[in-house]
Amino acid sequence: MFSFLKILARNLILGPSTDPFPHGETFTPEGLRGKIRFDASACVGCRMCEHVCAAGAIRIEETADKSGLEFVLWHNSCAFCGLCEHYCQTKAIRLTEDWHMAHRQEEKYGYVEKGVVGYVPCSRCGDPMVPVAPQLMKIAYRETNRDIEKLRDLCPDCRLKQSVGGR
Amino acid sequence: MKNMLKRIAKRSPWLYRINAGSCNGCDVELATTACIPRFDVERLGCKYCGSPKHADIVLVTGPLTARVKEKVLRLYAEIPDPKVTVAVGICPISGGVFRDSYAIEGPIDRYLPVDVNVPGCPPRPQAIIEGIAEAIEIWATRL
Repeated sequence: MFSFLKILARNLILGPSTDPFPHGETFTPEGLRGKIRFDASACVGCRMCEHVCAAGAIRIEETADKSGLEFVLWHNSCAFCGLCEHYCQTKAIRLTEDWHMAHRQEEKYGYVEKGVVGYVPCSRCGDPMVPVAPQLMKIAYRETNRDIEKLRDLCPDCRLKQSVGGR
Repeated sequence: MKNMLKRIAKRSPWLYRINAGSCNGCDVELATTACIPRFDVERLGCKYCGSPKHADIVLVTGPLTARVKEKVLRLYAEIPDPKVTVAVGICPISGGVFRDSYAIEGPIDRYLPVDVNVPGCPPRPQAIIEGIAEAIEIWATRL
């Protein structure tokens, strides 16, 4: 009959269970999929993220002055499925735990993550190419030596010639 | 008298929820935000109301499907001015994963003036509370 007294006493001891947010700090569970961060120095321009993006939030296009590839991700279309991070070999795309996303309508189309991967000239023929990220070299060769490092700043055609011709 | 009413009304905007063809994900998060003591949106002075005629802040979920478009617009017109519109989830903001579908009439800002966007699929309760707090700020300036 007086079981509610037990509950009352327990609630008095434990205090309120309400999260203090927005007046105070809140918790964020580990591994929460939030805003996406793009690291241009690790991107190799394979466009896998653009291909797997369920919501079509990612666009990779050549910049207007043809000096590199531009990565654009619109957060207002991103479903935080994490496929881009999963398929990104060099981990250029990472999902952060930042979930503070509410914004005014004026910022709607400016709510993007951008990055430019600038082309570098091939050391043999001088043609512009997407730079090979050190992360990719590590995946492809595990350990690099001077001979392999030489291949890094060659464009695909020159790399083929170098590996087959040996010069 | 009018000033006093304004001062009081600022502190207690009433919420109204429109489902414009949502998958129910955002609606569940909205229910969580309102009903579970852990998040408790009523601390901010908000209260969910059952009639659009009492509403001050409108929360819209879903990508505005062709089937509900007319009903949503009629419902929205019933809400008295001034009102603040909050788009909850990526569907009302951009169409999300349903963008370019034949059954979608498009992002809601094509038809309704939106004030605050809360992206996410669905956004977590804290993010919704953040968006509502932003909407309350706008609400205070509109009175």
